[in-house]
Amino acid sequence: MAGRKNEESLKRREFLQLVLGTSAGLLLAPSQAFLRTAGRKETGPKVLVLGMDGLDTILLDRFLQEGKLPHFQKLAAAGTYRPLRSSIPPQSPVAWANFITGTNPGGHAIFDFVHRDPKTYLPVFSASESLPARHNLRLGNLTIPLSGGEIKNLRRGRAFWQILEDYDIPATVFKIPSNYPPVETRQRTFSGMGTPDLKGYYGLFNYYTNEYKTVTEEYGGGGRVHDVYVIGNRVEARIPGPNNPFKRGNPETFVDFKVFIDPVNPVAKIAYQDQEFILREKEWSGWKRIRFDFIPSQSVTGICLFYLKEVRPKFKLYVSPINIDPADPALPLSTPENYSRELAKKFGPFFTKGLPADTAALENDVLDEKEFLAQDEIVYQESMAMLEEELKNFHSGLLFYYFSNTDQRQHMFFRLIDRNHPAYDEKLAAEFGQVIEQTYRQMDRALQLAMEKVDRNTVIVVMSDHGFCPFRRGFNLNTWLLRNGYHVLRPGTRPEEVSLFQATDWSRTRAYGVGLNALYLNLKGREAQGCVRPEEKESLLRELAHRLEQITDPLTGEKVILKAYLTSEVYSGAYLPEAPDLILGFNRNYRISWNSPLGSFPRELIEDNGQKWSGDHMTAPDLIPGVLLANRPARLERPALEDVTAGILSLFGIKIPPEVTGRPVF
Amino acid sequence: MLAISLLTALLMLFIYKKTSNQEGIRLVKSRIKASLLEIRLYQNDLRTQLASQKDLLLANLKYLLYNLKPLLVMIVPIFLILAQLNLWFASRPAAPGETFLLKARFMKTVDLERLRLDLEVPPGLVVETPPVRIIDEAEVAWRLKVTGPANEPLVIQVNGERYQKIIPLGKSRLTRVSTVRVKRNLWQELLYPGERPLPKDSLLEKIELGFEPQKLNLLGISFHWLVAYFLLSVILGLVLKGPFKVEI
Repeated sequence: MAGRKNEESLKRREFLQLVLGTSAGLLLAPSQAFLRTAGRKETGPKVLVLGMDGLDTILLDRFLQEGKLPHFQKLAAAGTYRPLRSSIPPQSPVAWANFITGTNPGGHAIFDFVHRDPKTYLPVFSASESLPARHNLRLGNLTIPLSGGEIKNLRRGRAFWQILEDYDIPATVFKIPSNYPPVETRQRTFSGMGTPDLKGYYGLFNYYTNEYKTVTEEYGGGGRVHDVYVIGNRVEARIPGPNNPFKRGNPETFVDFKVFIDPVNPVAKIAYQDQEFILREKEWSGWKRIRFDFIPSQSVTGICLFYLKEVRPKFKLYVSPINIDPADPALPLSTPENYSRELAKKFGPFFTKGLPADTAALENDVLDEKEFLAQDEIVYQESMAMLEEELKNFHSGLLFYYFSNTDQRQHMFFRLIDRNHPAYDEKLAAEFGQVIEQTYRQMDRALQLAMEKVDRNTVIVVMSDHGFCPFRRGFNLNTWLLRNGYHVLRPGTRPEEVSLFQATDWSRTRAYGVGLNALYLNLKGREAQGCVRPEEKESLLRELAHRLEQITDPLTGEKVILKAYLTSEVYSGAYLPEAPDLILGFNRNYRISWNSPLGSFPRELIEDNGQKWSGDHMTAPDLIPGVLLANRPARLERPALEDVTAGILSLFGIKIPPEVTGRPVF
Repeated sequence: MLAISLLTALLMLFIYKKTSNQEGIRLVKSRIKASLLEIRLYQNDLRTQLASQKDLLLANLKYLLYNLKPLLVMIVPIFLILAQLNLWFASRPAAPGETFLLKARFMKTVDLERLRLDLEVPPGLVVETPPVRIIDEAEVAWRLKVTGPANEPLVIQVNGERYQKIIPLGKSRLTRVSTVRVKRNLWQELLYPGERPLPKDSLLEKIELGFEPQKLNLLGISFHWLVAYFLLSVILGLVLKGPFKVEI
C-alpha cells in the first residue's frame, strides 16, 4: 500500500516538476513583445456578460418566487429568462469551452477535467500542458535553462473575443474558465479556472500544527500538514514553494518563518524574509508577498493568506495555497501582460488561482464552514471591487465578468439544504443552511451594480454554465467494468488496492474509465495495448451504453445513469477522434465516485458520499441546465451555451463563422 | 532627490578639489594612459609588455592612494546626509485604513512578563491587538491601525515611566518619517537622528514603527532611494567636474 502511494506521489512530483520547470524557463525567455490592446472601435451596442458559475434554475426559480432576488426579477421581466442547455458532460471546463468557442467538445477538445494519455492510460490534466526548457546547461549542481519553457492551453478552436478582435471590437474577458494560459490576443483577458498556484497545483494549502492531523494531497491539489513544536512560545517552520529548476533534481524551495506567541494573550507575531505581522487567534492576515529564491539572480514571488486558527492549547496555523503574484507574475496570467500588473497596482494582491476558495481545506476540516466562508467572502469582495472598476472603464465592445462563489459554495453546502444527503447535519444546517440563498442574493447585488453602472444601450446577459444537484451516492465505474468482464486485472490482484490501473491486464481489457464522466474503449491502433478491433467498437459501445443505463441503485431503486452518450453521436468537429467513447450522464443525486476517476476499483459498486463536497453537476445535462437572463428577448426556446456565443457575435453584426455551431440566441 | 543629489555632487567636488592632490592625480592618470598605449603598441615585445603592466599597476595603486584622503574626508558629510535622507525617503507614513507594527525593544535583563506596560494612543490610531511579548528577543509588539489624522505622539508606559513616539501619518510621500527612536548613544543617535533619544537609564532600548518601505520612481523604474541617490550624485558629479575643473 505504502509502495503504491509512493509511486503515485512520484508521478505527481514528476508532473509538478514539469509544470514548474517552466516557471524559471519563462523567466529566462525573452519578454513577450508588447501587445497592443485591440482596437477601440466605438460599438453601437455594448454587451455585458456576467458569468455566474453553477447558477441553478431550480434554486433561482425558488428564490425568485420568494421575491429574494429583485434585480434578477427585473432583468427577467425586461427580456429573457430561460434554462440554458449545458455541455455533455456539464462540467465547467467543458461548458465554458463550449461558450468560448461556440461549439461542442468535438470542436474545442476539452472533454472532461481529466483526460488520459492513450500511451500510458494515465490521467492528465485536460486544460493545459507544461513543457520544461528543451536545452539545459549543467554546471555541477546547477542547471541553467538555455531556452524558455512552454505552457500550452490545450483548448482548441478560436475564442469569441479573438473573433471580435478580427472586427476591431474591444473586449475585456475577466477570469473566464478554460483559458489558461490566456490565448494570444490583443484583447484584455485574465485567466480563470485552470490557473494553477505557484507550485503548479490547483491549490495546495499548508497547515502547521502540533496536533495529530492528516489531510489528503489529491491529484493536483489538497494540502500538507507540517508537524511543528511550540518551544519557548516560538514555532519555526517553512513554507514550501515551487521546485527549483536551476538545481539538479529540481528540489522544492522553502521559505523559513517564525511564529512568536505571547505567553498569555491569544496573539502571535509571524516573521519571514522582510515581513512581520501580528495575528490574533481566528484572524486572517490579508495578502502577504513571499519570495522563493532559485539562485541569487532568479526568484519568483507569490502571495498567500495566513489564518491563525488556534494558539493554545494546540497550535494551528493555516497558510493558503501560494497564488501567483499578479504584480509580478511568474506564469502567464493575462493579455496584455501588464493587465495583471495594472490590476495589482490598483487593488493590491488578489486571488489568481483558478478555483480561489480552498474547498480542500474545508473538506479536510482544516477550515470549518465559517472560516471557509470568510475566505470565500474575500474572493467575493475582490470580485465586486474589480467589477466596479471594469464597469467604470466599459465604454464599448464586450465585458465578460466571472463569479466563482456560486459554484464553490454549492459544491460545499448542498449537504445542508438536502435532508437526504449522507452528510446532512441538522446543527450545521441551522447555522449554514442559508449560505446558498445568501450567495444567490450576493449575485443579485452584483447584477444590481452592473444594472446601475451601464447605459441603456448595453445588452446585459447573465448566464451560468450548468446547474447543480445533490451528490449523495458515488458510482464506481471501473468496479462495474471489472465485475462485468470489460476490465481485467492480472491474476492474484486485490482490486481495492489498485490505483492508476497498475494491475490491469491490457491485453484482455476492453474498456476503462478515466475522468469524471468519461469511458474509453481499449481500442487497437489508438491505445498503446489496444485489443478492441475498430469494427467491434460500435456494437461494444451500444452494449455498454445499454447496460450502464440499466443499472439501478439497490438502496433507492433509482437509475444511476440516465443516459450514456456515444460521443460519435453527440460531438462533431476536428477533435472528435480525441474524445472519450462514452460520456456518462448520471441521474440526479448520483455522480462518479471519488476513487474511480483515477483508475481505482473500490469494493462497493455504489457508495454513500459522506463528504462535505456534496453538490455537483455530473448528471445528464438536461437535468441541470444553466440559466440565461438578458434584457433582450431570446429567439430560441431552448438555447444552448454555444447559442449565446453566436448571439453575442450577431449583436455586433458579425457573420457567424462556420466553426461556430451555435445559432444566435438574440 | 535631484536637488539633494546636485548639492551633494557640488559638495563632493568641492571637498575632492580641496583635499586631493589635483596635480598628482593628473600626472598619474597620464601615466596610466601612457602605459595602456605602450601595451597596445608593443604587443610583440614581451619585456616591454611586462614593464608596462608593472607601471600600470603601480600607477593605479598611486591613483587609489591619491583618492584615499578625499574619500576619508567625504565619508563624514556623506554619512550625515544619508542619515537625514533615510528619514525622508526610506519609509512612507501610514495612511488612513492601513495597519502597522509598533515594536518596543527592551534591555535583555528586563522581565517582560512582570513589566507594567501600557500603551496610550492619540485619536486617529487604534490598537488592534494585545501585546505580543517575545521574551528571548526582549521585544513587545502591537498592531495599530490608522483611522484618521493623529497630531499627538503615542505613549508607552513602562513601570510608570512615560516614553513618547512620534507617529507620522498621511498620504504625502515626501514627509520626514522617523521610524525609530533610540536610547542615548552617539552612534545610534547619528544613525537615527529623527527624534530626541530615549533617556540613558530607560529600560527601553528603542521604539520602532514597521512602516512600509518606499521606492523612488525614476523614468518609470523603481529604485531604492540609496541607489537613486548614488546614481544621481555620481552622474551629476561627472557632468560637473569639467566646468568646475576638478580632476577625478
